[in-house]
Amino acid sequence: MQRVAIVGAGRIGVVHAEAYAQMSNVELVAVCDIKAAAAEEFAAKYSAKAFTTMKALLSGVEFDVIDICTPTHTHIDYIKQAAAAGKQICCEKPLTRTTGQAMEAVRICEEAGVTLFPAQVLRWFPEFKKMRELILDGAIGKPVVVRTSRGCAYPSRVDNWFADVKNSGGVALDMIIHDYDWLRWCFGKVRRVYARGLYESNFPLTDYALVTLRFESGLIAHVEGNWARPSGFLTTVEVAGTEGLLSYSSAETAPLTIELKAKDEQSISVAVPESPVSRSPYYLELKHFIDCLEEGRRPDVTAEDGLEAVRIGEAAIRSITTDRPVALA
Amino acid sequence: MSDNKVVKIGIMSFAHMHAHAYASCLKKIPAVEFVGIADDDQARAEEMAELYGVKAFATYEEMLASDIDAVIVASENANHRRHVVMAAQSEKHALCEKPLASTKQDAEAIVEVCKRSGVKLMTAFPCRFHPAFKRLKESVLEGRLGKLLAMKGTNQGQCPGGWFLDKNLSGGGAVIDHTVHLVDLMRVLTKAEPARIYAEIDNRMFGGDYDDTGIISIDFTNNVFATIDSSWSRPKSYPFWGNVNLEVIGTQGVAKMEMFAQKIDVFSDRTGKHTYEYWGDDINQAMIESFVDSIAHDKPVEVTGEDGVKALEVAVVAYESASRREVIDLYA
Repeated sequence: MQRVAIVGAGRIGVVHAEAYAQMSNVELVAVCDIKAAAAEEFAAKYSAKAFTTMKALLSGVEFDVIDICTPTHTHIDYIKQAAAAGKQICCEKPLTRTTGQAMEAVRICEEAGVTLFPAQVLRWFPEFKKMRELILDGAIGKPVVVRTSRGCAYPSRVDNWFADVKNSGGVALDMIIHDYDWLRWCFGKVRRVYARGLYESNFPLTDYALVTLRFESGLIAHVEGNWARPSGFLTTVEVAGTEGLLSYSSAETAPLTIELKAKDEQSISVAVPESPVSRSPYYLELKHFIDCLEEGRRPDVTAEDGLEAVRIGEAAIRSITTDRPVALA
Repeated sequence: MSDNKVVKIGIMSFAHMHAHAYASCLKKIPAVEFVGIADDDQARAEEMAELYGVKAFATYEEMLASDIDAVIVASENANHRRHVVMAAQSEKHALCEKPLASTKQDAEAIVEVCKRSGVKLMTAFPCRFHPAFKRLKESVLEGRLGKLLAMKGTNQGQCPGGWFLDKNLSGGGAVIDHTVHLVDLMRVLTKAEPARIYAEIDNRMFGGDYDDTGIISIDFTNNVFATIDSSWSRPKSYPFWGNVNLEVIGTQGVAKMEMFAQKIDVFSDRTGKHTYEYWGDDINQAMIESFVDSIAHDKPVEVTGEDGVKALEVAVVAYESASRREVIDLYA
């Protein structure tokens, strides 16, 4: 049995809590959020204790695992405090805001002998697992050139901390770190990064980046991050190889679309596509983490994986701001 | 010239497969007399002349000495200069297949000679004539997307084979073949020029001494940034030859153009294949009608030789960037 405390009662915190609620070997014991009302509401829903500071959390309740679901720039402080207290750590992506912080996080957790699991959830999305399996099975021969795209409307959530690139890193870090990690998982080490983007611009509710990655293998990948869409979420992937091509689009694979007539003349009707799976990728991700803790195994995604993904994101931002390709190796 | 004047046209070389499309287009225009064909390969000239019911000339000189008004040059990229210059010196207008040449020097020479000879020179960029692009252009230029920020283009295709793989004739490989269409469309939408180029280019798809894969990044003079994927990355089993896709990001919205989306999916047990059968407008037809119209009514061509030079320059500089692994500033 793992006793879990969640830090950050925002959107991803709720998603994680829902996943833990389905696990028989997890007890969600506490939630910590700097906003007392948010913490109280969350705690009431999951029969957990509410705290507003890490200090109070660490001294106020017994637990084994901390799950950090706070804004990116705050991750490193929570990781440090949790490692010092000997807690096992799950941390939402990006692992940290900067490469330096990620290196520090890796070192500290190693020294403290605690697990640091970066929640790179894309690895548990069935479509992304299937694509990797097909690639490794040689379905398209040797992979040569890859394109990924990930887009949605500009995030506008609690406090909208995403809007401050100092906190979130913007689309080039926060959003397409999913793709950096998946690409590393499929194709190995990245050698060089070139990127263009709106990191230094300040257009309202708009961020956009086009990133070119050159891998050690020679493979070229083009990664689009789009927070400029008026609405709707869209991911696409295309991998071209010496013996074929695989392509995926979230827009073309939803098995269910529900479209309701507008309630009145003023409102508009919207078609809502759905791609339901019986087990949420977030559940599978956290289940893997918890099972590894229970069985004393190393999780399939390591703290170093989290660090490397941040390193690519930071290189992309550096390339955007310096107009130069950035070498990683 | 009167409205009723028939424009007489010959085709110089069938080396490029687009010559077939152009020949079919010429046959459909009542105001055009498709006179004949000349080719470095005399047997091909005769075969094609028979196929299209026109005259096979023994030499380019013989065709250019006839009373034709204009030529369509569809030879290998490295031969464009020789052929367009010959035509211009014989005072024939020219529509030249893209890319305008295999080097920037050749492309500039083509433009200069046509200018001095007083003949019209049009670069074959048919994508400009697609109704979807025209609508996109209107929307962008009217400002419906707000301020233009970025663009993402692909012109991915199947490997064409033949002389396209011979660097001496093509000037490169996939990048010189496929980059120019998108550069041209982007120049139209931005009303700006490419300023900085970075490219990752390789040959890992086929392993030949020509490039088959390329991602080209462009910063335009108005700070719009863009990428173009010009890879020959559609496998032989792909249902269509390739694509011309362009996404535009603005402060007030985004637009996505898939130029050949107007298609029927055909799954055939007779061929064992899945194919896309395109039913949208014939952009080659529109382009050639525009060329003919510019001659018949002595109007400026809709796509100029300079447009061809500007687009080619990006491809040429992309090769340089990829080999130096540096951003190249065209205005430095």
